[in-house]
Amino acid sequence: MNALQAPLIIVLMLVPYILLTLRSLGYLSGLGPNPVETIIHETGLWGIRFLMLTLLVTPIAYYSGIGVIAKLGKPVGLMAFFYVLNHFLSYAMIDQAGDIGVVIIDIIETPYLIVGWGGFLCLFGVASVSFKRLENWFSQNRSTISGLVYTATILGVWHFYWQAKVMDIESVIYSIILTLLIIWRFQVTTNRKL
Amino acid sequence: MLESIYESDKLHLVVMKINKNKISLPSSEITSESAYINRRKLIQSVGLFSLGLGLTESSLGQSQEAQLLKTIRNEKFSTTEAPNSYSDITSYNNFYEFGMKKSDPYMNSGMFEPKPWSVEVSGQVNLTGTFDLEDLIDFNKLEERIYRLRCVEAWSMVVPWVGIPLSSIIKKFEPLSTAKYVSFETVYRPEEMPGQKRRILRWPYKEGLTIQEAMHPLTLMAVGIYGKELLNQNGAPMRLVVPWKYGFKSIKSINKIHFQERQPKTSWNISAPQEYGFYANVNPLVDHPRWSQARERRIGTGLFGAKQPTLPFNGYAEEVADLYSGLDLRKYY
Repeated sequence: MNALQAPLIIVLMLVPYILLTLRSLGYLSGLGPNPVETIIHETGLWGIRFLMLTLLVTPIAYYSGIGVIAKLGKPVGLMAFFYVLNHFLSYAMIDQAGDIGVVIIDIIETPYLIVGWGGFLCLFGVASVSFKRLENWFSQNRSTISGLVYTATILGVWHFYWQAKVMDIESVIYSIILTLLIIWRFQVTTNRKL
Repeated sequence: MLESIYESDKLHLVVMKINKNKISLPSSEITSESAYINRRKLIQSVGLFSLGLGLTESSLGQSQEAQLLKTIRNEKFSTTEAPNSYSDITSYNNFYEFGMKKSDPYMNSGMFEPKPWSVEVSGQVNLTGTFDLEDLIDFNKLEERIYRLRCVEAWSMVVPWVGIPLSSIIKKFEPLSTAKYVSFETVYRPEEMPGQKRRILRWPYKEGLTIQEAMHPLTLMAVGIYGKELLNQNGAPMRLVVPWKYGFKSIKSINKIHFQERQPKTSWNISAPQEYGFYANVNPLVDHPRWSQARERRIGTGLFGAKQPTLPFNGYAEEVADLYSGLDLRKYY
């Protein structure tokens, strides 16, 4: 059962991606009048949602008493990165037509893109390490990884909040959950030290 | 798909037949007859679209009746760029009264009732009072004007509007010399406009122009698109179109017009004054504080369409730049 959980989660988390792919092929309702925007928004939105889910894995394992759940943090986190990577690539390669110079200038000139880019780099660091050295490094540097994922999520939610013309209710909900998670995290680590 | 319908000769004949039966016009008066779309075909395709979204047609604004309008194209003020498809223009809108997503106005505007419609006119004019739509708009003098529309969010469209110059309406009220500005309000009906139930903006939506801007020949009071009455999601029954300004200035579903001496407060300016100025002229050199305004994405160019440069005053500099001579456009954005 344990061995099945990670693949199952990955398949479930791929559903929005499959739906988006079908839409981009013209199925379902299609991508609408602004297809570039739809792809960027959908991949970004699911990236944020799955990052939130990544951070929720530990507290869920903690309070449910089912320790195995904690092992899902890595596959869930990697899937979140998969969406964020698609988000960034669709922005860079489609929206900005792959012009790296234009991308760099656009990021520098656009505050919410700097924030989003920072979050992407945090995740990129974690993901590249987790692909290379795997378990050993992972278990030895849990707090670093956790810290980077937290930072990436904070920057991601900030990026999401900041790009909207008016306050989006979804970003407010994520901000509240994120705040509670950070408080919880600090309490747990403080208790451990004591 | 609609564009191909729009251009097909066969349909053209069908439409002409409809025109003759319903409003029997001498064909010489109809210079923009090709703009009329077969309504049945349209509803069919909309039906397919809504099926994809898992929705019933009755829940959509598209079940609205839109009458054909008699128009004459104003070539002088029309761009030769290809207009966006009717489906793009009626399904991708910013109209926060119906929700914040682009598809919300299309999805949530079915309950809105734009008929009958009256407009309250007040302030520094000789003639004030409440007027019916038909008193304000001379439906025998409708013009079709194909204008570029540039949204502050850096996307753009080309829209074949139907309307009359705002100046022809304003003249009827005989403004006094103290009428330096004109302000407009969108109707406030939270029971028909679900977006108004949340205070994302201060309702009712307010916009304003200087009297010179309002009297400019390009400024249009629109009542239709593609030769048909405006649908609810596009601001039925009448809306402003100021093509050289960002789209949010072109206020929709207007039911109040007020003439005043002082600059009016406007909704987006109240919401975020550092981001949205009173003038809001399209200007590639003055960025929005959070994003660049140098380029725009033209809706309808597909997934791999390149962005295009944004033009000063949205390409209408020759006509309107004079209005702002001596004004620091960086300060008065």
